Amino acid sequence: MKLYKKYILTFMILVTGMLSGCGGNSPIYHISPDVDFSFFKNVAVLPLDNLTNDKAAGEIVKQLVISELLASGLVDVVIPGEVMSSISELGIQNISSLNKSQIKALGNALNVEAVIIGSVDQYGDVKLGNLSAPEVTITLMMADVESGNIIWSITLTRGGLDFMARHFGASSETMSEIVQGVVREAIQTLFEY
Amino acid sequence: MIDTNTKEKSFFYIRALLVFFFLMTCVSGCTLSNGIKHYIRPGLDINNINKVAVLPFENFTADRFAADKIKSLVVIDLLSRGIDVVEPGEVMVLLREMKVRSLESITSENIEQIGKILKVQAVMTGSVGVFKVSRGVEVSYPEVSISLIMYEAENSDIIWSTWHTTGGADFWTRHFGAEGNTLDETAKILISDVLDTIY
Repeated sequence: MKLYKKYILTFMILVTGMLSGCGGNSPIYHISPDVDFSFFKNVAVLPLDNLTNDKAAGEIVKQLVISELLASGLVDVVIPGEVMSSISELGIQNISSLNKSQIKALGNALNVEAVIIGSVDQYGDVKLGNLSAPEVTITLMMADVESGNIIWSITLTRGGLDFMARHFGASSETMSEIVQGVVREAIQTLFEY
Repeated sequence: MIDTNTKEKSFFYIRALLVFFFLMTCVSGCTLSNGIKHYIRPGLDINNINKVAVLPFENFTADRFAADKIKSLVVIDLLSRGIDVVEPGEVMVLLREMKVRSLESITSENIEQIGKILKVQAVMTGSVGVFKVSRGVEVSYPEVSISLIMYEAENSDIIWSTWHTTGGADFWTRHFGAEGNTLDETAKILISDVLDTIY
Protein backbone atom coordinates (compact mmCIF):
# COMPACT_ATOMS: atom_id res chain seq x y z
CA MET A 1 0.00 0.00 0.00
CA LYS A 2 2.69 2.47 1.03
CA LEU A 3 4.72 1.54 -2.05
CA TYR A 4 1.70 2.24 -4.29
CA LYS A 5 1.27 5.65 -2.71
CA LYS A 6 4.89 6.46 -3.36
CA TYR A 7 4.64 5.40 -7.02
CA ILE A 8 1.53 7.45 -7.65
CA LEU A 9 2.96 10.49 -5.91
CA THR A 10 6.21 10.25 -7.86
CA PHE A 11 4.28 9.87 -11.15
CA MET A 12 2.13 12.92 -10.41
CA ILE A 13 5.11 15.07 -9.48
CA LEU A 14 7.03 13.92 -12.55
CA VAL A 15 4.21 14.70 -15.01
CA THR A 16 3.42 18.04 -13.41
CA GLY A 17 7.08 18.95 -13.36
CA MET A 18 7.51 18.06 -17.03
CA LEU A 19 4.49 20.11 -18.03
CA SER A 20 5.24 23.16 -15.96
CA GLY A 21 8.91 23.20 -16.86
CA CYS A 22 8.29 23.48 -20.59
CA GLY A 23 8.75 27.22 -20.98
CA GLY A 24 11.76 27.63 -18.80
CA ASN A 25 13.78 29.84 -21.13
CA SER A 26 14.88 32.78 -19.02
CA PRO A 27 15.28 36.09 -20.85
CA ILE A 28 18.68 37.66 -21.43
CA TYR A 29 18.42 41.31 -20.53
CA HIS A 30 20.40 44.28 -19.38
CA ILE A 31 19.29 47.39 -17.53
CA SER A 32 21.69 50.23 -16.81
CA PRO A 33 21.88 50.31 -13.02
CA ASP A 34 22.59 54.02 -12.80
CA VAL A 35 19.55 55.18 -14.78
CA ASP A 36 16.36 56.50 -13.22
CA PHE A 37 13.59 55.07 -15.40
CA SER A 38 10.92 57.29 -13.88
CA PHE A 39 12.51 60.09 -15.91
CA PHE A 40 11.35 58.47 -19.17
CA LYS A 41 7.78 59.57 -19.72
CA ASN A 42 7.61 59.81 -23.51
CA VAL A 43 8.94 57.13 -25.79
CA ALA A 44 8.99 56.58 -29.54
CA VAL A 45 8.94 53.05 -30.94
CA LEU A 46 10.94 52.96 -34.17
CA PRO A 47 10.24 50.40 -36.91
CA LEU A 48 11.74 47.06 -35.93
CA ASP A 49 14.19 45.26 -38.16
CA ASN A 50 12.51 42.27 -39.69
CA LEU A 51 14.97 39.38 -39.94
CA THR A 52 12.30 36.82 -40.78
CA ASN A 53 10.59 35.55 -43.89
CA ASP A 54 7.25 36.94 -42.75
CA LYS A 55 7.15 40.43 -44.19
CA ALA A 56 4.60 41.69 -41.65
CA ALA A 57 6.42 40.38 -38.56
CA GLY A 58 8.19 43.67 -37.82
CA GLU A 59 4.98 45.71 -37.97
CA ILE A 60 2.95 43.20 -35.94
CA VAL A 61 5.53 43.12 -33.15
CA LYS A 62 5.94 46.92 -33.24
CA GLN A 63 2.20 47.45 -32.75
CA LEU A 64 2.21 44.98 -29.91
CA VAL A 65 5.16 46.76 -28.25
CA ILE A 66 3.28 50.09 -28.50
CA SER A 67 0.13 48.53 -27.08
CA GLU A 68 1.95 46.84 -24.21
CA LEU A 69 3.93 49.97 -23.33
CA LEU A 70 0.74 52.01 -23.19
CA ALA A 71 -1.12 49.34 -21.25
CA SER A 72 1.68 49.13 -18.71
CA GLY A 73 1.01 52.77 -17.82
CA LEU A 74 4.75 53.41 -17.70
CA VAL A 75 5.12 55.78 -20.60
CA ASP A 76 3.31 57.70 -23.31
CA VAL A 77 4.05 56.56 -26.83
CA VAL A 78 4.38 58.83 -29.85
CA ILE A 79 1.97 58.28 -32.75
CA PRO A 80 3.62 55.81 -35.17
CA GLY A 81 3.00 58.14 -38.12
CA GLU A 82 4.95 60.94 -36.42
CA VAL A 83 7.91 58.60 -36.07
CA MET A 84 7.82 57.69 -39.75
CA SER A 85 7.51 61.33 -40.70
CA SER A 86 10.54 62.33 -38.56
CA ILE A 87 12.63 59.47 -39.93
CA SER A 88 11.86 60.63 -43.42
CA GLU A 89 12.50 64.32 -42.63
CA LEU A 90 15.86 63.52 -41.03
CA GLY A 91 16.82 61.46 -44.08
CA ILE A 92 17.52 58.33 -42.04
CA GLN A 93 17.89 55.44 -44.47
CA ASN A 94 18.80 52.55 -42.22
CA ILE A 95 17.04 52.17 -38.87
CA SER A 96 19.15 49.17 -37.86
CA SER A 97 22.36 51.20 -37.73
CA LEU A 98 21.44 54.44 -36.00
CA ASN A 99 24.31 56.43 -34.55
CA LYS A 100 24.22 58.59 -31.43
CA SER A 101 23.64 61.82 -33.31
CA GLN A 102 20.70 60.31 -35.22
CA ILE A 103 19.16 59.04 -31.97
CA LYS A 104 19.53 62.51 -30.47
CA ALA A 105 18.05 64.15 -33.56
CA LEU A 106 15.08 61.78 -33.54
CA GLY A 107 14.55 62.39 -29.82
CA ASN A 108 14.53 66.15 -30.33
CA ALA A 109 12.22 65.97 -33.34
CA LEU A 110 9.72 63.74 -31.54
CA ASN A 111 10.14 65.39 -28.16
CA VAL A 112 10.77 62.10 -26.34
CA GLU A 113 13.27 61.00 -23.69
CA ALA A 114 13.94 57.58 -25.20
CA VAL A 115 13.51 55.59 -28.37
CA ILE A 116 12.89 51.86 -28.67
CA ILE A 117 14.66 50.00 -31.41
CA GLY A 118 15.04 46.30 -32.07
CA SER A 119 14.43 43.38 -34.34
CA VAL A 120 12.25 40.38 -34.90
CA ASP A 121 14.72 37.53 -35.27
CA GLN A 122 12.36 34.59 -35.57
CA TYR A 123 8.66 34.57 -36.40
CA GLY A 124 7.28 31.37 -37.79
CA ASP A 125 6.97 27.66 -37.40
CA VAL A 126 9.99 25.59 -36.43
CA LYS A 127 9.96 22.07 -37.77
CA LEU A 128 11.34 18.85 -36.36
CA GLY A 129 10.45 15.78 -38.38
CA ASN A 130 6.71 15.82 -38.88
CA LEU A 131 6.12 18.25 -36.08
CA SER A 132 6.02 22.02 -36.19
CA ALA A 133 5.28 24.72 -33.66
CA PRO A 134 5.33 28.52 -33.74
CA GLU A 135 8.40 30.26 -32.34
CA VAL A 136 9.15 33.95 -31.85
CA THR A 137 12.44 35.64 -30.97
CA ILE A 138 12.64 39.37 -30.45
CA THR A 139 15.34 41.82 -29.48
CA LEU A 140 14.37 45.17 -27.99
CA MET A 141 16.55 48.05 -26.88
CA MET A 142 15.85 51.42 -25.31
CA ALA A 143 18.21 54.28 -26.10
CA ASP A 144 18.43 57.43 -24.02
CA VAL A 145 18.16 60.30 -26.52
CA GLU A 146 20.26 62.65 -24.41
CA SER A 147 23.32 60.42 -24.28
CA GLY A 148 22.52 58.10 -27.18
CA ASN A 149 23.36 55.13 -24.92
CA ILE A 150 21.44 51.86 -24.74
CA ILE A 151 19.91 51.74 -21.28
CA TRP A 152 17.77 48.60 -21.58
CA SER A 153 18.04 45.62 -23.87
CA ILE A 154 16.48 42.19 -24.00
CA THR A 155 16.48 39.13 -26.22
CA LEU A 156 13.71 36.67 -25.72
CA THR A 157 12.53 33.47 -27.41
CA ARG A 158 9.22 31.77 -26.76
CA GLY A 159 7.33 28.91 -28.33
CA GLY A 160 8.96 26.20 -30.36
CA LEU A 161 8.73 22.49 -29.81
CA ASP A 162 8.34 21.88 -26.12
CA PHE A 163 8.02 18.55 -24.33
CA MET A 164 4.33 18.12 -25.10
CA ALA A 165 4.75 19.07 -28.76
CA ARG A 166 7.78 16.84 -29.17
CA HIS A 167 6.32 13.76 -27.51
CA PHE A 168 2.56 14.07 -27.97
CA GLY A 169 2.27 16.35 -30.99
CA ALA A 170 0.38 18.91 -28.92
CA SER A 171 0.96 22.61 -29.36
CA SER A 172 -1.17 24.63 -27.01
CA GLU A 173 -0.44 28.22 -28.07
CA THR A 174 -1.08 29.99 -31.36
CA MET A 175 1.47 32.26 -33.00
CA SER A 176 -0.48 35.32 -31.84
CA GLU A 177 -0.51 34.12 -28.23
CA ILE A 178 3.21 33.42 -28.34
CA VAL A 179 4.08 36.82 -29.80
CA GLN A 180 1.82 38.50 -27.25
CA GLY A 181 3.50 36.56 -24.46
CA VAL A 182 7.02 37.30 -25.62
CA VAL A 183 6.42 41.06 -25.93
CA ARG A 184 4.57 41.20 -22.62
CA GLU A 185 7.40 39.37 -20.88
CA ALA A 186 9.98 41.68 -22.41
CA ILE A 187 8.13 44.84 -21.35
CA GLN A 188 7.58 43.31 -17.92
CA THR A 189 11.33 43.37 -17.23
CA LEU A 190 11.22 47.14 -17.66
CA PHE A 191 8.08 47.42 -15.56
CA GLU A 192 9.51 45.32 -12.74
CA TYR A 193 12.55 47.52 -12.61
CA MET B 1 -18.60 -7.91 1.76
CA ILE B 2 -16.00 -5.19 1.35
CA ASP B 3 -13.35 -5.06 4.02
CA THR B 4 -12.05 -1.76 5.45
CA ASN B 5 -8.68 -2.14 3.80
CA THR B 6 -10.14 -2.33 0.25
CA LYS B 7 -12.43 0.63 0.97
CA GLU B 8 -9.50 2.73 2.18
CA LYS B 9 -7.52 1.74 -0.89
CA SER B 10 -10.22 2.82 -3.32
CA PHE B 11 -10.71 6.12 -1.46
CA PHE B 12 -7.00 6.75 -1.75
CA TYR B 13 -7.08 6.15 -5.53
CA ILE B 14 -10.02 8.49 -5.99
CA ARG B 15 -8.30 11.20 -3.95
CA ALA B 16 -5.04 10.71 -5.83
CA LEU B 17 -6.85 10.96 -9.18
CA LEU B 18 -8.68 14.10 -8.12
CA VAL B 19 -5.42 15.75 -7.04
CA PHE B 20 -3.77 14.69 -10.28
CA PHE B 21 -6.55 16.11 -12.47
CA PHE B 22 -6.58 19.30 -10.44
CA LEU B 23 -2.83 19.75 -10.96
CA MET B 24 -3.14 18.94 -14.66
CA THR B 25 -5.92 21.51 -15.04
CA CYS B 26 -3.86 24.13 -13.24
CA VAL B 27 -0.81 23.50 -15.39
CA SER B 28 -2.52 23.10 -18.74
CA GLY B 29 -4.91 25.96 -18.07
CA CYS B 30 -2.15 28.52 -17.66
CA THR B 31 -2.41 29.72 -21.24
CA LEU B 32 -6.18 29.70 -21.40
CA SER B 33 -6.96 32.79 -19.40
CA ASN B 34 -6.25 35.73 -21.65
CA GLY B 35 -7.49 38.97 -20.14
CA ILE B 36 -7.58 41.92 -22.52
CA LYS B 37 -4.74 44.22 -21.59
CA HIS B 38 -5.53 47.73 -22.73
CA TYR B 39 -4.78 51.37 -22.13
CA ILE B 40 -7.33 54.07 -21.36
CA ARG B 41 -6.06 57.55 -20.74
CA PRO B 42 -6.55 58.34 -17.07
CA GLY B 43 -9.43 60.74 -16.49
CA LEU B 44 -11.03 60.07 -19.88
CA ASP B 45 -14.78 60.62 -19.91
CA ILE B 46 -15.94 58.19 -22.57
CA ASN B 47 -19.38 59.83 -22.62
CA ASN B 48 -17.80 62.74 -24.47
CA ILE B 49 -16.84 60.46 -27.35
CA ASN B 50 -20.06 60.14 -29.31
CA LYS B 51 -18.83 60.39 -32.87
CA VAL B 52 -15.88 58.50 -34.26
CA ALA B 53 -14.12 58.28 -37.63
CA VAL B 54 -12.72 54.82 -38.30
CA LEU B 55 -9.81 54.97 -40.73
CA PRO B 56 -9.01 52.04 -43.02
CA PHE B 57 -7.10 49.33 -41.17
CA GLU B 58 -3.64 48.06 -42.04
CA ASN B 59 -3.59 44.49 -43.23
CA PHE B 60 -0.71 42.21 -42.23
CA THR B 61 -2.41 39.01 -43.32
CA ALA B 62 -2.45 36.95 -46.48
CA ASP B 63 -6.20 37.58 -46.83
CA ARG B 64 -6.38 40.82 -48.78
CA PHE B 65 -9.90 41.58 -47.55
CA ALA B 66 -9.17 40.95 -43.87
CA ALA B 67 -8.67 44.62 -42.96
CA ASP B 68 -11.94 45.68 -44.64
CA LYS B 69 -13.87 42.83 -43.03
CA ILE B 70 -12.57 43.67 -39.55
CA LYS B 71 -13.12 47.39 -40.06
CA SER B 72 -16.74 46.77 -41.05
CA LEU B 73 -17.27 44.63 -37.97
CA VAL B 74 -15.77 47.35 -35.77
CA VAL B 75 -18.04 49.99 -37.36
CA ILE B 76 -21.13 47.80 -36.90
CA ASP B 77 -20.24 47.03 -33.30
CA LEU B 78 -19.67 50.72 -32.53
CA LEU B 79 -23.01 51.64 -34.12
CA SER B 80 -24.76 48.93 -32.11
CA ARG B 81 -23.38 50.56 -28.96
CA GLY B 82 -24.96 53.88 -29.92
CA ILE B 83 -21.75 55.50 -31.14
CA ASP B 84 -22.10 57.60 -34.27
CA VAL B 85 -19.60 56.50 -36.92
CA VAL B 86 -18.71 58.57 -39.99
CA GLU B 87 -19.61 56.95 -43.30
CA PRO B 88 -16.45 55.05 -44.44
CA GLY B 89 -16.72 56.60 -47.92
CA GLU B 90 -16.45 60.09 -46.40
CA VAL B 91 -13.25 59.07 -44.64
CA MET B 92 -11.76 57.66 -47.85
CA VAL B 93 -12.55 60.84 -49.79
CA LEU B 94 -10.98 62.98 -47.10
CA LEU B 95 -7.82 60.87 -46.91
CA ARG B 96 -7.47 61.20 -50.67
CA GLU B 97 -7.96 64.97 -50.47
CA MET B 98 -5.38 65.17 -47.69
CA LYS B 99 -3.00 63.10 -49.84
CA VAL B 100 -2.36 60.56 -47.09
CA ARG B 101 -0.33 57.98 -48.96
CA SER B 102 0.00 55.29 -46.33
CA LEU B 103 -1.88 54.53 -43.14
CA GLU B 104 1.32 54.03 -41.15
CA SER B 105 2.36 57.62 -41.87
CA ILE B 106 -0.67 59.39 -40.39
CA THR B 107 0.58 62.24 -38.24
CA SER B 108 -0.91 64.20 -35.34
CA GLU B 109 -1.67 67.00 -37.75
CA ASN B 110 -3.62 64.62 -40.00
CA ILE B 111 -5.66 63.32 -37.06
CA GLU B 112 -6.54 66.81 -35.86
CA GLN B 113 -7.49 67.80 -39.41
CA ILE B 114 -9.71 64.72 -39.81
CA GLY B 115 -11.36 65.56 -36.50
CA LYS B 116 -12.11 69.12 -37.55
CA ILE B 117 -13.39 68.35 -41.04
CA LEU B 118 -15.50 65.33 -40.11
CA LYS B 119 -16.59 66.90 -36.81
CA VAL B 120 -15.72 63.84 -34.73
CA GLN B 121 -14.40 63.60 -31.18
CA ALA B 122 -12.15 60.63 -31.89
CA VAL B 123 -10.30 58.93 -34.71
CA MET B 124 -9.69 55.19 -34.69
CA THR B 125 -6.89 53.38 -36.46
CA GLY B 126 -6.19 49.68 -36.45
CA SER B 127 -4.49 46.71 -37.99
CA VAL B 128 -5.18 43.04 -38.51
CA GLY B 129 -2.25 40.78 -37.66
CA VAL B 130 -3.86 37.39 -38.20
CA PHE B 131 -7.14 36.41 -39.87
CA LYS B 132 -7.13 32.79 -40.90
CA VAL B 133 -8.03 29.25 -40.06
CA SER B 134 -4.91 27.78 -38.46
CA ARG B 135 -4.17 24.10 -38.49
CA GLY B 136 -3.12 22.21 -35.39
CA VAL B 137 -1.89 18.63 -35.39
CA GLU B 138 -5.35 17.18 -35.87
CA VAL B 139 -7.73 20.10 -35.65
CA SER B 140 -8.16 23.43 -37.36
CA TYR B 141 -9.42 26.54 -35.62
CA PRO B 142 -10.01 30.20 -36.45
CA GLU B 143 -7.34 32.66 -35.35
CA VAL B 144 -7.78 36.43 -35.36
CA SER B 145 -5.57 39.13 -33.87
CA ILE B 146 -6.16 42.86 -34.08
CA SER B 147 -4.69 46.10 -32.82
CA LEU B 148 -6.81 49.21 -32.28
CA ILE B 149 -5.84 52.74 -31.27
CA MET B 150 -8.23 55.62 -30.62
CA TYR B 151 -6.98 59.20 -30.73
CA GLU B 152 -8.69 62.27 -29.34
CA ALA B 153 -9.35 64.40 -32.41
CA GLU B 154 -8.79 67.71 -30.64
CA ASN B 155 -5.16 67.10 -29.63
CA SER B 156 -4.33 63.73 -31.27
CA ASP B 157 -3.52 62.13 -27.90
CA ILE B 158 -3.91 58.36 -27.66
CA ILE B 159 -6.96 57.80 -25.46
CA TRP B 160 -7.38 54.05 -25.85
CA SER B 161 -5.33 51.25 -27.28
CA THR B 162 -5.38 47.50 -27.25
CA TRP B 163 -3.98 44.44 -28.99
CA HIS B 164 -5.90 41.23 -28.67
CA THR B 165 -6.03 37.76 -30.12
CA THR B 166 -8.40 34.84 -29.93
CA GLY B 167 -6.87 31.75 -28.46
CA GLY B 168 -6.28 28.58 -30.41
CA ALA B 169 -8.51 25.54 -30.36
CA ASP B 170 -10.53 25.27 -27.17
CA PHE B 171 -10.60 22.25 -24.87
CA TRP B 172 -13.52 20.55 -26.68
CA THR B 173 -12.09 21.07 -30.14
CA ARG B 174 -8.62 20.00 -29.10
CA HIS B 175 -9.64 16.84 -27.30
CA PHE B 176 -12.92 15.80 -28.88
CA GLY B 177 -12.76 17.46 -32.31
CA ALA B 178 -15.90 19.49 -31.56
CA GLU B 179 -16.84 22.18 -34.09
CA GLY B 180 -16.00 25.63 -32.79
CA ASN B 181 -16.93 29.08 -34.07
CA THR B 182 -16.34 30.07 -37.68
CA LEU B 183 -13.72 32.67 -38.61
CA ASP B 184 -16.32 35.44 -38.91
CA GLU B 185 -18.00 34.51 -35.64
CA THR B 186 -14.61 34.49 -33.93
CA ALA B 187 -13.81 37.93 -35.33
CA LYS B 188 -17.17 39.28 -34.13
CA ILE B 189 -16.61 37.92 -30.63
CA LEU B 190 -13.08 39.31 -30.53
CA ILE B 191 -14.21 42.79 -31.58
CA SER B 192 -17.07 42.77 -29.13
CA ASP B 193 -14.72 41.75 -26.29
CA VAL B 194 -12.21 44.41 -27.28
CA LEU B 195 -14.79 47.21 -27.48
CA ASP B 196 -16.22 46.12 -24.13
CA THR B 197 -13.02 47.48 -22.60
CA ILE B 198 -13.97 51.03 -23.56
CA TYR B 199 -17.75 51.23 -24.12
